[in-house]
Amino acid sequence: MFAQSLSAVLETVINQFLRYNLHGTLALKPLSEKTLTVKLAELAFPLSFTISHEKIHVTTNDEHSDCCLITSVSTLIELKKEQQLTDLIKNDKLDIQGDLKVAQRFAEITQTLDIDWQSELAKRIGDIPAYKLGRLGQNFLNKLNFVTEQIQADASEWLVHEKRLMVTGAEITHFSQNVEDVTQQVSTLSERVDQLINRASKIS
Amino acid sequence: MLINLKKCGKLAIILVKSETMMSASDQNHPTNHDNSDEATTHFGFQTVEKNEKESKVASVFHSVAQQYDVMNDLMSFGIHRLWKRFTIDASGVRPGNKVLDLAGGTGDLTAKFSQLVGREGKVILADINSSMLNVGRDKLRDRGLVQNIEYVQANAQYLPFEDNTFDIITIAFGLRNVTDKDMALRSMYRVLKPGGRLLVLEFSKPEHELVNKAYDFYSFNILPKMGELVAKDGDSYQYLAESIRMHPDQETLKTMMDTAGFEQTSYKNLTGGVVALHKGYKF
Repeated sequence: MFAQSLSAVLETVINQFLRYNLHGTLALKPLSEKTLTVKLAELAFPLSFTISHEKIHVTTNDEHSDCCLITSVSTLIELKKEQQLTDLIKNDKLDIQGDLKVAQRFAEITQTLDIDWQSELAKRIGDIPAYKLGRLGQNFLNKLNFVTEQIQADASEWLVHEKRLMVTGAEITHFSQNVEDVTQQVSTLSERVDQLINRASKIS
Repeated sequence: MLINLKKCGKLAIILVKSETMMSASDQNHPTNHDNSDEATTHFGFQTVEKNEKESKVASVFHSVAQQYDVMNDLMSFGIHRLWKRFTIDASGVRPGNKVLDLAGGTGDLTAKFSQLVGREGKVILADINSSMLNVGRDKLRDRGLVQNIEYVQANAQYLPFEDNTFDIITIAFGLRNVTDKDMALRSMYRVLKPGGRLLVLEFSKPEHELVNKAYDFYSFNILPKMGELVAKDGDSYQYLAESIRMHPDQETLKTMMDTAGFEQTSYKNLTGGVVALHKGYKF
């Protein structure tokens, strides 16, 4: 029943987002009655997204699908960058079966999502509390970002310079350069040895 | 023979009492369950005349129709929505399909099917009980679902449809209330298209003894009180608990489906066997 719980939650969240979307459900029209199935490596069941009645219906049935994506969650995130599509297919990280246009149009729906969360909140709790809550949220996010950056910087400092558990980028470059120099020297030496062996064989 | 046909908007009320609607296959199969050849059957734990059960079940559902959805949520803690979602997933429904939601009551399955079959498809919400059908029709219309749904008041034993009509038939929490289950299954088989599938979602026998005991305690001690408190009708919910115990277990129902002619029959226990989804195909 986990599959059904997940599909129910996904369906509710997606359709709620679509309800709040400033552009409405216009993007859904060209995809009416089309189904996109996503098979993720992390899930034991498929997720099918069918558009009908200006809603997206999520099921765990893959018997009928206009387009099927077989991939993993991490690859799905990478898919945002369109130019990576061919690379992902070449590297066997993504398999597409069926009509590619359906997948592209589904992707367009996510790109057209534009939600004014503050106005949605204002409808429920009023303008001033919504504004204050928005500011509070923004401040919290800014602080969170700052704290995250600080923690990353401190952790990096501690690992690289204090405990010397990791090396810096410059050290890696220096090491790579040294390896290249050694490789070149070995190659030269090898050629020299070959020449000496040839000369020795001619003399004998 | 149709003895009463009213049409009101998209609601067609069809009461069918004639065995002439049955195909040859309906009449050829022997009946092994529900004492089909006998004059009595069960109504919960009581033994009643066969012709009496229908009216008794009808009075139960006339009584609970208005509170049906609220009670379903309360009694199952909302899990019935997941059981129904599982049924939809197992149906393999696609745009253009013709679906019969038998004993469809307040239309939970019909609502979803209606959206998944699209404009070219059709869903028939059928129930023997007019009160349930009215509640279902009002609910679906309030949700704007009007395009591809038809409402038919029909007895599952004498389905008023031509042979080979539907791609999918579902009967959710309805089969146990049918007087002659074998006859109903044969009737469903008749109206199903070759390649079509029947899905029976029904209370069943829990797999573990401990769950069974807890479930018994809940059904006979808490459920009727809940019914009394919310729906002001404890007796109907006492019947619900009793009818669940009298319903065939998973294997028996599977055998009944095989006998009716269904192929590749299987079942899946849900919530530890409290509910089971039986699936069978007509080829």
